Amino acid sequence: MSPPGGVHAAVAHDSARKHVTGEAVYLDDMPEPKGCLHAHLVTSPWPHARLTAIDAAAALAVPGVAAIVTAADIPGVNDIAPAFSSEPLLPPEVAEYVGHPVAAVAAASPAQAREAASLVRLEATPLPALLDLREAYEKKRWVLDPVEMLRGEPDAELAKAAVRLDGELMVGGQEHFYLETQCALAVPQEDGDMLVLSGTQHPTEVQHMVARLLGIPQHAVAVEVRRMGGGFGGKESQATLVAGIAAVLARKTARPVKLRLDRDTDMTVTGKRHDFLLRWQVGLDGEGRIRAVTMDLAARCGWSADLSAAVISRALSHADNAYFYPHARLRGLACKTNTQSNTAFRGFGGPQGMMAAETMMDQIARTLGRDPVAIRRLNFYARESGCDVTPYHQRIEHFRLPSMVERILASSEYSTRRKAVDAFNAGSPVIRKGLALSPVKFGISFNKIELNQAGALVHVYTDGSIRLNHGGTEMGQGLLVKVAQVVAEAFSVPLEAVKITATTTDKVPNTSATAASSGSDLNGMAALQAAETIKGRLAEVAAARFGVAASEVAFADGMVRAGNHALPFAEIVQEAYRARVSLSATGYYRTPRIDFDLAAMRGHPFFYFAHGVAVSEVAIDTLTGEWRPLRSDLLHDVGSSLNPAIDRGQVEGAFVQGLGWLTMEELVWDGEGRLLTHGPSTYKIPTGRDVPPDFRVELLTLPNEEATVFRSKAVGEPPFMLAISVWLALRDAVASLGPAGHVPQLAAPATPERILGAVAAARTAGGRR
Amino acid sequence: MRPEIRFFLNGRPCRLSGLPPHTTLLEWLRGQGLTAVKEGCAEGDCGACSVLIGTPRRARLDWRAVNACILMLPQVDGRAVVTAEGLARGDGSLHPAQRLLADTHGTQCGFCSPGFAIALAALARRPERDDETILDAIAGNLCRCTGYRPILEAARALPVIAPAVEEAEIAATLERDCAQPLDYRAGGGRFVAPRDLDAALAVLAEEPEAWVLAGGTDLGLRITKRHEEPRCVVSLARVGELAAVGREGRDTVIGAAVPYADALEAISALAPSVGALVRRIGAAQIRAVGTIGGNLANASPIGDTLPPLIALGASVELASREGRRTVAVEDFVTGYRKTVLRPGEVVVSVRIPAPGAATLVRAYKVARRIDQDIAAVSAAFALSVEDGRVTRARVAFGGIAERPLRTPEVEVALTGRLWSLETARAAGEAARRAVRPISDVRGSAGYRATVCGNLLERLWWDTAGPAGVAATLDALEGAP
Repeated sequence: MSPPGGVHAAVAHDSARKHVTGEAVYLDDMPEPKGCLHAHLVTSPWPHARLTAIDAAAALAVPGVAAIVTAADIPGVNDIAPAFSSEPLLPPEVAEYVGHPVAAVAAASPAQAREAASLVRLEATPLPALLDLREAYEKKRWVLDPVEMLRGEPDAELAKAAVRLDGELMVGGQEHFYLETQCALAVPQEDGDMLVLSGTQHPTEVQHMVARLLGIPQHAVAVEVRRMGGGFGGKESQATLVAGIAAVLARKTARPVKLRLDRDTDMTVTGKRHDFLLRWQVGLDGEGRIRAVTMDLAARCGWSADLSAAVISRALSHADNAYFYPHARLRGLACKTNTQSNTAFRGFGGPQGMMAAETMMDQIARTLGRDPVAIRRLNFYARESGCDVTPYHQRIEHFRLPSMVERILASSEYSTRRKAVDAFNAGSPVIRKGLALSPVKFGISFNKIELNQAGALVHVYTDGSIRLNHGGTEMGQGLLVKVAQVVAEAFSVPLEAVKITATTTDKVPNTSATAASSGSDLNGMAALQAAETIKGRLAEVAAARFGVAASEVAFADGMVRAGNHALPFAEIVQEAYRARVSLSATGYYRTPRIDFDLAAMRGHPFFYFAHGVAVSEVAIDTLTGEWRPLRSDLLHDVGSSLNPAIDRGQVEGAFVQGLGWLTMEELVWDGEGRLLTHGPSTYKIPTGRDVPPDFRVELLTLPNEEATVFRSKAVGEPPFMLAISVWLALRDAVASLGPAGHVPQLAAPATPERILGAVAAARTAGGRR
Repeated sequence: MRPEIRFFLNGRPCRLSGLPPHTTLLEWLRGQGLTAVKEGCAEGDCGACSVLIGTPRRARLDWRAVNACILMLPQVDGRAVVTAEGLARGDGSLHPAQRLLADTHGTQCGFCSPGFAIALAALARRPERDDETILDAIAGNLCRCTGYRPILEAARALPVIAPAVEEAEIAATLERDCAQPLDYRAGGGRFVAPRDLDAALAVLAEEPEAWVLAGGTDLGLRITKRHEEPRCVVSLARVGELAAVGREGRDTVIGAAVPYADALEAISALAPSVGALVRRIGAAQIRAVGTIGGNLANASPIGDTLPPLIALGASVELASREGRRTVAVEDFVTGYRKTVLRPGEVVVSVRIPAPGAATLVRAYKVARRIDQDIAAVSAAFALSVEDGRVTRARVAFGGIAERPLRTPEVEVALTGRLWSLETARAAGEAARRAVRPISDVRGSAGYRATVCGNLLERLWWDTAGPAGVAATLDALEGAP
């Protein structure tokens, strides 16, 4: 048994031992219910086409086939839009991208379902397709109206600025590549009810969508998820597609139906991180201090809106990163293309917005011939000089970056290494090194205020063991163990006394997605509140027993204490039972202090900020564009960490995922809108050898100034953006080949081909070969 | 002939019949409830389906991690298979690889973790613990959560594990039970694994449409991705003559069914640079089964081994019932996935002459990822330099046409010239003009042509550049 309590301890993931033996059960590992059918999707081969016929005769003749469903078979409302409307589960008329599911087949075996699906004949009239982000931006093809974040008078100030710079950057999208592909199992119940086991970050949304699709009340649908093999945002809104199709087929056949996407189907059908076209104008004073900024942030949303409005909102609210823009107009443009509908992905637009800020900073420093770190520090938010209001009008409090930058400059020996890199480059004809620092300031809370609430359910049994349930889902991030640590701490019991259970909509209703890094902030507080409710009742019982006031009763060191009295937790629990005191409670939490006007794009959307800073060194081969990471130092602000081991894992994992996004992960479509990179043979995520061989990670564990759960900070997304330092270091290496003031032209991801192109451009600018 | 597949699974003997031979090991294991073995990609690129395969060798078992997703069930005949479930001991205590992964916080979502446990368990049987060996051992396992640092930490702490006593018994049992060659038929399919070449050629004569299988790392994809169901598969993996590596005079002869992993030592001895390239073919799981013979016979335009074989002047020995013949590697591949192989003919071996003492041999693979990636461009050079002058040059490129090509234009630009940067650049120009690459997801035609030319320059820096100047990323101190 571990010691009582548990918050701030570096305990292992609750499933660690089960992970390594294979005992941990994922959805596809579960024994299938009797009569279970397997589904396969029929997808559009056209990027845009009006469907005229779906002929299933040959498919239905395949042995084992039980049913095929199209839009016409949906008994309820054919719409699974998470935020707006008109995003059908299966399109009734128009297919909008290559891979758009237009029908689904259920059969006794996966092979039969696949064969039948391949025999479904689709007829359609092709419609004009728009596949390119830049073209959509130029033609103003939006899925949503443009939005604008405005502060001050940017146009007038730009006109007056001593120096004016323009810039543009293309930032690529990213496939989630969760190792477990999307899966759902729908099991019909009595009374037309439906039980759905779903690999989803948002069980409530799956519940609501299945109810809507089947035309039944939400109370008739239960959704359960024990764990996912990775999510990263990809199983937030888009899990409803998979669960919805399984449920519609289950309803039609009155049998359990499982839909598991194979890797190629998953990548072809589901949305990814939005690629962005970023354009800016910045006006500076003579020192390099920003006076005004205007930006266009144009996102490829794909065929539908999905969560794009919120993604763009977060991109806009992070296009300042850590820098004060006295006057700013930031426009968010939701571009429509006939490709997959892009969706949530770790950082949720924040990384793309931040890429605009950091690339602009790099451009300013190089153009003015100033040190990139000095230019960044000069433009940091600063309360004392009144430079502390964001473009969305929130005042920055508790800004930790200046001291964090100070600290990492020293610990990474930045200035010594800067000189060493320059000296190396001066004597190196083929290999060039680069070094860069980049900061991160990431806002915590959902921009949509209503989502910032959570519920929990805690039962205490008469032997003192505790069963914990809340609305958060486990996708590997260690949420369930963190919340269990909170409850163990509250009752002062060993962590083993708290049972971690699957997330189900019938225990805690109306939950928000496990997203926006909010999992432990929200669910930890809700669970703590439930525990406090039960503790209050137990304190009354203990007070009566000890003959003291309830306020004197404490839960500490595994005991319930007051003065000289002490009894084991289980004994007080039994006493409470005998006294007919409830040992079960719900908990509820809503984030305080936040408000945001989504139409005006102003308010106080973030409860607090998480900070980080990274210094990365890389080397490039100027003959091939290949590169290697050499060293990365990370300092990341986790508040008073609930679990430093879990938090370190989040920081390191996010950084490497970000490194993949900015360097090697490239999505490629052909001229007909077909995704060519639909498996790991063509879509390359980092392997063990792509991690910096010298990788130094430090957690800053100062308590959060805001009253979060045990003063911790959210950690899921913010460290993703520390990888921008790697991309900037690649630019730095390229810049060493150009003349003074040369600004490398390097899009993201910085593939070897792009690096070699930037090398050639730098040399040309310098008048060399 | 033996009609039944026999192997050991997690220490217990298994005998199988009745399942179609194209059933994958992954599919079957999951059906048995061994769900630690996961499907992450079904193309041998993610490692989530990794299992250990033990091959009887000299009265013991030689353990390697392989991908179960692209292995046909009959391929494990005569082998011992261990899944992550079977790593833990009977008393429930974890294998050190598992314990260390859990203790170092090397798991997050856990979906890839059984595969990593297997990769580390394979590593635990080898004595080396340097970072290169460790990175090689896990390069075939993708993790999307941890960023790998804790997994590397677990690997560094891994003890060397000695073979268990029962392994010798299992090896002996397998040798005895599988003494007869396998001829397995079920569900309308057939899988034959003859032990001698004549028998294999005889089956091929009666089954002209049969798939000829060595390691199956490419053929496996036809099952999992194209959903083909072969009527007959002739496995060459157990043909004794094809399974040996030997020396004949100055030549190294590598049997067509020798996995890359077993050919590596001999190739590294011939040319370390080519050995380094072989270490970048697929990953450990692929190299444990994939073969040079298969790579040749597949004739893929991006096959990693062809350019160095061409540069080294290697030849291929072919056999059919009509007899044997030898063909230069550069003439063996005739077009996109086309070779001079006639119906009923197979690759027996590849013969590589040792390069002369004055010959500089370099092989380069340019890809966006170091491990487990397909080259945008690859190149191989064998340059004889005497008194500073190039006396002989053989140059070949991959990824630049429908097949890997020798480029005489580049050889002409080198031969007879002083081996200088100017010569290298002029030869690079010749290379850029000689190659006709295409544009695809791995690179544009322009990029490929530029890199082909630049690799000549790299060759000069690498072989003749000033001392103390790192001319390649691998030569950089502190680089991974």
